[in-house]
Amino acid sequence: MSAPVRRPPLAVVLVALVMLALGETAGAVMSRLKPEIQRYARARVAANPAAHGFTGSAEYDDAVRDRAIFTAEAGLSFFHLHGEGVGLVLFFAGALVAAVVPGRRMRALLYVLLVLGGLFPVGYLVYGAAVLELAERWILAPLGIAAIAGLAGLWLALARRRT
Amino acid sequence: MTQVDSPTWRVPPRWVLLVAVLSIVAAEVGGGSMARFKVELTRWARDGMLARPSVHGLVGVRDVDERILDEALVKFDAGLRLFHMHAEGMGLVIIATTMVAATVIRQDAARRAIIALLTTGGAGYPLGYLVWSALIPSYGLERSKTIAEWLVWVPFGTATIVALWCLVGVVAWRMIKS
Repeated sequence: MSAPVRRPPLAVVLVALVMLALGETAGAVMSRLKPEIQRYARARVAANPAAHGFTGSAEYDDAVRDRAIFTAEAGLSFFHLHGEGVGLVLFFAGALVAAVVPGRRMRALLYVLLVLGGLFPVGYLVYGAAVLELAERWILAPLGIAAIAGLAGLWLALARRRT
Repeated sequence: MTQVDSPTWRVPPRWVLLVAVLSIVAAEVGGGSMARFKVELTRWARDGMLARPSVHGLVGVRDVDERILDEALVKFDAGLRLFHMHAEGMGLVIIATTMVAATVIRQDAARRAIIALLTTGGAGYPLGYLVWSALIPSYGLERSKTIAEWLVWVPFGTATIVALWCLVGVVAWRMIKS
């Protein structure tokens, strides 16, 4: 017999939708504005030669510049991929939490963890725009851990649930 | 509390779910076919390109031509892969987003319009990758990409993006009001 299925709070739905929308938009931007993005990345690299360790040797500097531009594009590409994927994970995991996890506090905790994990793709934007080290240590790792903790909590709640 | 206000889901129309599931099935079939008929597909694309040397800039020198053919075949394969990946993903995106639209948008006309845009955009967009791959042997890399872009990616992609941001606005508005 079917019954109405509870939905998660609108805040959870909103974060999932924003991630999906940003992921879609990033995909379109990547495709339509590729030359502009490359030009912008090239200009930023040229404006900060010391940060990129330019030596004045054209061959070496070109290699460094190409790698920096590639990294910026890869960041946007990962953001597109993860924005779509994590948006869906947050949506469906949030829907499962609302439907099957008993206890308001437990649900609230899992929502918080899942929403933080849902922001994980933003780390790739930072990755593209800033230093790889910063994105990994301060954004990707904690938000990724939050997502894993939220999903593990959901799994435990499902396993403990009496049928 | 009305049915819309209650914190439960409303299921999107059946045709939407059928389209979404069909997109996922097509993606699965595409993935399976890519693996099962890899040699046949590559041979078909290669024969198509060899039949139109001027389109692909083939000059008759083996070393030069093989490099051009290899590059075009990599793109041909990439188009099939991207279709597989996007059709699976967009099928799920259609289910998730139309469920939200069916649940939170009160106005019938607006709800129908957003659901229609999300469904047609989401299901149509991945087909662009199939079109791109299928046209590469006949039209070359750049021309086939332009055709797929203006025939499929731009209209269907725009529909999805516009509808998604509208939905974000509606959900945010509902949060502010509640």
